Amino acid sequence: MKGRVLQESALKMTPDDNVATVLDDIGEGFELDLDDRSIQFVEDISFGHKVALRAIDQGEMIYKYDEIIGQATQAIAPGEWVHTHNCESTRGRGDLTPEAVDEGDQK
Amino acid sequence: MNSTPSEQLVLDQFEATTRGERGIGIRDRILVLPSVICSHLVADRIAEQVSEAVSAPHDHGCAQLGADNEQTERTLVGVGQNPNIAGTVVVGLGCEEVQSSEVAEALAAQDVPVDELSIQGVGGTDECIAEGEKKVRSLVKRSIGSETVDAGLGDLTVGVVSGDLRSESRSVADPLVGEFVDMVIGNGGRVVIAGTERLVPHADSVLKNTADGAQAAVKRVLERDKSRPPKDVATREAAAECSFDEITRTYGGRPIESLVEYGQPAAFDSGVALLDSPTQFEEAATGLAAAGAHLVVHVTTDGVPTGHPIVPTIKITGNESTAAALEEDIDIDATSTTADELKDFIAAVADGQRSSTERHGLSEFAITRVGPSM
Amino acid sequence: MAITFNGYRRKNGDIGVRNYVAVIPISVAASSITSKIAQQAGPWARATPHQMGTSQPSQSREQTVRVLTGIGRNPNVGAALVIELGTEDIDADALADDIATAKKPVDTVTIREEGGALETVETGIKTAESLNESISNCRRERADISELIFGVECGGSDATSGIAANPAVGNGCDRLVSGGGTACFSETPEFIGAEHILANRTVNDDVREKLLDRVDTREQMAEIMGVDLRGAQPTPGNQEGGLTTIEEKSLGAISKGGTTPVQDIIDYGEQLPRGGGLVLMDTPGYDVESVVGKVAGGAQVIAFTTGRGSTTGNPIAPVIKVTGNPKTWSSMSNNMDINASTVIQGDSLESVGERVFQTLVDVADGERTEAERRRLEEFAINEIQPVEHKLRGA
Repeated sequence: MKGRVLQESALKMTPDDNVATVLDDIGEGFELDLDDRSIQFVEDISFGHKVALRAIDQGEMIYKYDEIIGQATQAIAPGEWVHTHNCESTRGRGDLTPEAVDEGDQK
Repeated sequence: MNSTPSEQLVLDQFEATTRGERGIGIRDRILVLPSVICSHLVADRIAEQVSEAVSAPHDHGCAQLGADNEQTERTLVGVGQNPNIAGTVVVGLGCEEVQSSEVAEALAAQDVPVDELSIQGVGGTDECIAEGEKKVRSLVKRSIGSETVDAGLGDLTVGVVSGDLRSESRSVADPLVGEFVDMVIGNGGRVVIAGTERLVPHADSVLKNTADGAQAAVKRVLERDKSRPPKDVATREAAAECSFDEITRTYGGRPIESLVEYGQPAAFDSGVALLDSPTQFEEAATGLAAAGAHLVVHVTTDGVPTGHPIVPTIKITGNESTAAALEEDIDIDATSTTADELKDFIAAVADGQRSSTERHGLSEFAITRVGPSM
Repeated sequence: MAITFNGYRRKNGDIGVRNYVAVIPISVAASSITSKIAQQAGPWARATPHQMGTSQPSQSREQTVRVLTGIGRNPNVGAALVIELGTEDIDADALADDIATAKKPVDTVTIREEGGALETVETGIKTAESLNESISNCRRERADISELIFGVECGGSDATSGIAANPAVGNGCDRLVSGGGTACFSETPEFIGAEHILANRTVNDDVREKLLDRVDTREQMAEIMGVDLRGAQPTPGNQEGGLTTIEEKSLGAISKGGTTPVQDIIDYGEQLPRGGGLVLMDTPGYDVESVVGKVAGGAQVIAFTTGRGSTTGNPIAPVIKVTGNPKTWSSMSNNMDINASTVIQGDSLESVGERVFQTLVDVADGERTEAERRRLEEFAINEIQPVEHKLRGA
């Protein structure tokens, strides 16, 4: 498998990623050792979901596979679950076209 | 006319099943409703095990955007509450966009006896077929065989789709249907007519014949379709060559009281409503079933043979050779049937007599798409 | 050492891995009759029911014709029976003639001429039986692996798809391509966010431009509908399984085609080349429609990765289900063929890829997949919607 398995618990695909994918249901409080420091899970994160490996600013890009997978919609702390509630896509955003925005305003 | 009523009926009365808030039903079935294409074979196999069950297999429910996704979901909820249905078991896969649990919840909110399961939820297709059968049988016990009541034409919601604009349809069959439509409404019933392609080249006349309350909605549909290729090219092209009168003979001279959105139960009281639907029978019949039609009258020159799992279909042709060649599949030869005879036949079907499509049992359940598959 | 399998050699030189009589309806009006014919005729008869209308606009109709013809020509089809109402815009005889250029027996039955639905079913069964007679003495013979066209699909994806199942299947594709065969993956919306990676692997600029253009068109579909792609892509199941955005899904999805250069990108249902290496097909991500596109293109076998547990198959080509999710492997084992979740426990991609490749050969030889055992054979054709026509320059 590509990537690096950390403590048999999380998979970091490339060194430059700011998220890792958990390989089991991990509970709040779990300590994950990274090379230079460790992070603590601030909430439960389910198998297959992502944990923030460091602080991410609102508007900052989220990296997995050393590629952009989305943008933070709010500030994210290390150890936080990263998913649809705080990370949105930068592609296929038909909701952001001028027409869609107008229609939204009219509702 | 190919068939006669199986018993002497008083005027236009028939025996119907009571459905509380949903009115009356003329059939009494449990619907096994797949929320997505991926569960439709399982739904079919569940329904095959139980004689009171029918399934509504379709090709959609996932990878759809916005209004297109909403239309599919709305249609499933619409047909699930058709008054011919005693109860519904919704079958999902589990990962799809149109979630079986949401469809089931929406049906429960309409007081439809309902149950639900998903392939991924129970751990596989074999398990789902077995569990699904149990749920259907349980609903049969709970919901089939409700009280019956004497009903008449005025209690019916009749769905109509004229499948083409050949001369046999517009000059022979449509006018016959129009007379019947007029009768239904005169008795206090409702008629929903499907098929917008033919109206698009006659938008002005259509709007002149539309009630004030429905003007904006009908106008929106006709403008929208004007700038796009039609779903049924033959009908749209033929309509451009016909007069407004020729294309609206099933309307019985009545104005459009209301526009019914595809998939939405119709909410008007009486008269003729237009269903925003293509002419293609299989899709139109589903839209009409969702609208609350008890049965569908299908005018067909070609003899499109398919029926629909939820609504009995009455096949009418104005073409003598079609009627002769497809004797078993055509209910009414419009060249030799009066409006009264048509009315009697429909009353008999409402009373339980099987239409030709119910006899051969080949049906199709298709939903109209309004967006691209993603 | 040449790797071989045993398949049915057709008169035009193609090799099939199954020997079916395909029963193909021209329109939705003939579809339920078609299914009935195949159901009653026997397990060797395979219906391809669909819901395309009788008078579609030209672009949609052309796509329907391309798919139906391609299905009839698929090498797994020994003979074809075309069913029409008789008044559709699509000419059944012309379509049958086109299928027959693949040098296989083809017949047509017209509902209007048979005197009714049930009469048509009867005639259809008899005709199918006689077509089956004419192909039943076809025996398997040895063929080189390079004669295989392997379609790969992902559906019901979750985070394990990109980590385990897709790379394992991709490894299988690499093996087939190095053996001289063709591997095809599709689902263009699932290139969005990863298209630059594929673009960098195209063999020339023409292919590169075509690829980027097709991705752009798919992305514009979200725009014409005025909505966020999310919900359609990724689906709710994808999201529950950990995939947050289309970019994340795509980056995991493209690995199912392996690592070899992208030779071309072709249209939905267009013919895939023999010995063509890695070829992409422009299809929706919608699974059943996407698999049908590849089978219409000539793929004899499909591998389908799934995290959440998709159970769909195809009537014409065997579908091998591969899951990288250990929970799905255990809870839905009756519907799954290959357990790729061992990758997460430390199994090498090469060893699981080898398993995928070996299963491909075994299935080509005749071993039935779980979907085949259960006759799970979903079929649907992608319909180009009126709202899409302006995007496609119609």
